[in-house]
Amino acid sequence: MFTKKRIIQFCFAALIFLSLDLWMFKTLSTNFRSYEELRNFNEIELFAQTAPEDQDLQAYEKWIPSVKSIIAGARAFYFSFDEMQGDFVPSTGSETSFRLWDKYKESTEFRKAMESVYYLEPMKLSGSYKADYSLDPDIHSQETIASQVYFVPVIDENGYQANGAIMILVPNSTATGYMSLLRTIFISAAVIFLGIMLVITFTRDPITGFMVLALFGVVVIFIAYPLLEAVRLSFMKDGVVSLQTWKETLSPTYLVALWGSLRLGVLTATISTIVGYMFAFLIERTSFRQKKVMSTLATMPVISPPFSLSLSIILLFGNNGLISKQLLHLNTSIYGLGGLTLVEVIGMFPIAFMTISGVLRQIDSTVEDASLDLNATKWHTFKSITLPLSAPGIVSAWLLVFTNSLADFANPLLLSGDYRVLSTEAYMLVTGRSNLSAGSALSFLLLMPTITAFLIQRQWVGKKSYVTVTGKPSTTLTELTNKPVRVSLEVVSWTFIGFIVALYLTIVAGCFVVNWGIDYSFTLANWGEALSRGWTAIRDTVTLAAIATPIAGLLAMLTAMLVVRKKFPGKRLLETLIMTPYAIPGTLIGISYILAFNKPPLLLVGTGAIIVINYVIRELPVGVENGITALHQIDPAIEESAADLGADVTTVFRTIVLPLIRPAFLSSMSYTFVRSMTAVSAIIFLISARWNHLTVLIFNFSENLRFGLASVLSTILIVIVLMVWALMQVLVKDDKLTQKTISTR
Amino acid sequence: MLEKKSVSVTLEHVTKRFKNVKGKKDVIAVNEANLVIEPGELVTLLGPSGCGKTTTLRMIAGFELPTEGKIFIGNEEVTMMPPNKRDTATMFQSYGLFPHMTVYDNVAYGLKLRKIPADQIKEKVNETLGMVGLADYGDRAPSKLSGGQQQRVALARSLIVTPSVLLLDEPLSNLDALLREQMRIEIRKIQKDLGITAVYVTHDRVEAMSLSDRVVVMKDGFIRQIGPPSVIYEEPNSRFVAGFVGKATFFPVKILRKDAEKWICELGGKEAVVSHAGDNVEVGMEAVLMARPESLRVVEPGTGHIEGKVRMNVYLGNSLESFINTSFGEVLVQVDDPHAKKIYAEGSDVSIDFAPDRVRLLNKDET
Ligand SMILES: Nc1ncnc2c1ncn2[C@@H]1O[C@H](COP(=O)(O)OP(=O)(O)OP(=O)(O)O)[C@@H](O)[C@H]1O
Ligand SMILES: [Mg+2]
Repeated sequence: MFTKKRIIQFCFAALIFLSLDLWMFKTLSTNFRSYEELRNFNEIELFAQTAPEDQDLQAYEKWIPSVKSIIAGARAFYFSFDEMQGDFVPSTGSETSFRLWDKYKESTEFRKAMESVYYLEPMKLSGSYKADYSLDPDIHSQETIASQVYFVPVIDENGYQANGAIMILVPNSTATGYMSLLRTIFISAAVIFLGIMLVITFTRDPITGFMVLALFGVVVIFIAYPLLEAVRLSFMKDGVVSLQTWKETLSPTYLVALWGSLRLGVLTATISTIVGYMFAFLIERTSFRQKKVMSTLATMPVISPPFSLSLSIILLFGNNGLISKQLLHLNTSIYGLGGLTLVEVIGMFPIAFMTISGVLRQIDSTVEDASLDLNATKWHTFKSITLPLSAPGIVSAWLLVFTNSLADFANPLLLSGDYRVLSTEAYMLVTGRSNLSAGSALSFLLLMPTITAFLIQRQWVGKKSYVTVTGKPSTTLTELTNKPVRVSLEVVSWTFIGFIVALYLTIVAGCFVVNWGIDYSFTLANWGEALSRGWTAIRDTVTLAAIATPIAGLLAMLTAMLVVRKKFPGKRLLETLIMTPYAIPGTLIGISYILAFNKPPLLLVGTGAIIVINYVIRELPVGVENGITALHQIDPAIEESAADLGADVTTVFRTIVLPLIRPAFLSSMSYTFVRSMTAVSAIIFLISARWNHLTVLIFNFSENLRFGLASVLSTILIVIVLMVWALMQVLVKDDKLTQKTISTR
Repeated sequence: MLEKKSVSVTLEHVTKRFKNVKGKKDVIAVNEANLVIEPGELVTLLGPSGCGKTTTLRMIAGFELPTEGKIFIGNEEVTMMPPNKRDTATMFQSYGLFPHMTVYDNVAYGLKLRKIPADQIKEKVNETLGMVGLADYGDRAPSKLSGGQQQRVALARSLIVTPSVLLLDEPLSNLDALLREQMRIEIRKIQKDLGITAVYVTHDRVEAMSLSDRVVVMKDGFIRQIGPPSVIYEEPNSRFVAGFVGKATFFPVKILRKDAEKWICELGGKEAVVSHAGDNVEVGMEAVLMARPESLRVVEPGTGHIEGKVRMNVYLGNSLESFINTSFGEVLVQVDDPHAKKIYAEGSDVSIDFAPDRVRLLNKDET
């Protein structure tokens, strides 16, 4: 592969291309600079000719600032010729220019320039000077910009004497805009060319090479770069390296928020795990009858849109809530830790339920039988066998819920009240005070416990040593509970489910009420208003999610194929980077995206593209994992046969891999769609006047106490999500039949 | 239906090293392999598990890249060429049938990739399915076929694209004995009829012997011997090859001298004459004398080379196996056409004899 000949070949070609690239860049930029200089000279001379006829100071005061209309951003200062001194003396003009002159007036350059002007020759100083543009009060420019300095004479009518001189500062910025564009183009040309050369010279399968290269491009630009940019900016203040932001972040104000996040996380995780275990145990380990219904209902909150549960809790228990105020006349507030924990538990216990179910299902019940045979009581068997065997599930569930709670953004936004958590605090900093770097620093603070929990969870999932997988699922399950225990479990579970259903029904009810909390009469007006005000948001949300869905699905499956089946350098790095967004709170991703993509060359903020990209990047990890798991179950010989018969990588992917991992493909797509429709934490930073998101609109309405409108939009969102979810269930079920025939031989 | 010029396959100094992760030692799966497979020839790669047969095959197919060396198909170097560009077709041990396609679509896959008109594809697929005896099975899913039928689908799918080289990796290992024999004959027939160059991987010596024009015996990544089955069997160059391709008894001997192209050695205190020797055998060294059961004869005590006592006779119809206890241990002698020969009863004293040109001196090294 890396033979000497090829390396030399590559280096030679790279050298030729790079020197060509560099040469073209130099030529173009020199040309551009001299052209720019020439143009400025012309403009400036032209400007000097428009000088007021009479030597009236006021006229000059008015005239001098008009230089900006000729050269954008320029500053001028006028010197009149003093016959007595035989020299130019400062008269009027911009402070910026004057200060610069004052600083350098004794330098030979400036003296030469004045002399030249005296002899009626305009002159441009070589080199650029740093001028502080904030000195001019009328112009809102905050920076110190390197500038070119021009001197021109104002010539007397008779044409052989200078009445005065003008010093003009032209900021380099107009030029740098074009120059940086030029630089970007040439650098990317070089990078792309080298990448292509690399693939062509050193791989025998260029298509795979290009796919890997493209994937690396995507991952570096849209995952690594924004995060690094966020890190970088959290160490900057006003353009210089500083620890100021971090000092602020680690101040007591925000440590309180960190403590708040952690407390909420621990509470939510603990309660959710207990509730989740109860459900999982009831469904997997007892002779409970309505298993299907119960498990479907218990997973529902996972796909429910953000804000909907909080909204419903506010409607029922808020300051003007139906139960708290109208029925019980209570004065306690639902806002704060208690309310937050309640909503988060309802929203996140399904995660615990599913994780623990998976583990409980795999416990071989013969172990339990053996214990019962030894005359152990059922309770003892549960305590000494079942519970320890399900420990990995419990730990894993706890950590998963914990990370989810830390990253949760929507519920605290509505329900936190005076209670402070990091995710919303970061949001306030960014939107309220436009302090992006502090916002990103706060999100990084949040990242630490998240990543820790995530890594521990990975570790536990990796070690399945406790679980006895026999491969042959036992047909009969030993009843581990006696009737009273089971019935009480059932009652508690049904009550819980009933409460959840009631919450959703409350939202539906909210759609038809004039003014919740005050006037409960029936109306349809909410629908009209919500639809007319929310229609574009609904359309945008569905459109963007629909665009992101196939892209994410295909990209995930393609990535899975490359990762599982191909060898290439940097594979581990690629995998890690792709999985990163899974462990990162959405707030951080959102903030890092605005930091990274609000400037050229990737000026994406405000476009729909950034939202789509964000959807794709955030949902990719789950899709890739799905794809990897599916591919591991497929005999590589199947793909090799296809390649052997003449199919190239793309054909193998299209005709063999994709059909074989169709269930994973479908579920990744529906997952992406649902998650994109219900996204909020990152999206709230990325929406713009042109592209709005339904969840953000729901938030706005809720915040303004327009609960009727929020309810309507929530209901619409729930209906859309449920439809897609149901469709997906049908498609996958359909697939189970074909799936059975997929055996390795 | 398939007219194509047969091509050769050449391996030049091919080495494959697998980098082992986690700081373990690299595995050298194939070591400095040199092999020329003639056009239209069927060559088997034979060797114990893990000796590098599959790896060699996969390098010819293009699924693995040689670490060093070159591979040619015909006159073209294909070392770096991806599998889809090579004119080879592989039959995998697990068949690799496309489970989401019918038998018909499986077989048609290669033709569809070649953008052949649909009516021609249909004609060709039906013809090929007929050839492998699956004419009526086009609509079935591969999973609804028996092992032997699946195997034939795989064969049809490989053959329909008229590959220049057919590569088979233990294609019959999952079939029962009877079906195996049938399919073996079928594969050989088709391969001969079409004149396809074929490489066949197996660890079953009977399969290798009965099928191939030449056998390549491998061990630990090294090619140990290449030759037609009869040569490999009759004239092994090493103790390993002799033992791997058939039953053999190895008597320790000391080589005394060489007289007129014949080796004189000392066997159990007596001198014995041997006509042939394998590699690395020199006068003066300790060696082994390799004898096949059918090369040995049972004679009257005192008249042969080695004295012994019959422990057991096993009657097999067309032959009889005599297990004889000697000072070298138990020796197996095969008596062909036992009705025409004198049979020594169990327990009787006998002597074992051999003709000088029916045995072979080999280096005593086991490997
Ligand atoms: N992808 C791989 N990575 C690392 N080592 C490998 C790989 N493939 C094969 N090997 C090693 O290379 C050696 C040769 O393997 P190979 O599959 O060629 O054996 P084989 O002769 O086909 O054996 P068998 O008869 O069991 O199929 C073995 O030691 C094996 O462990
Ligand atoms: Mg093998």
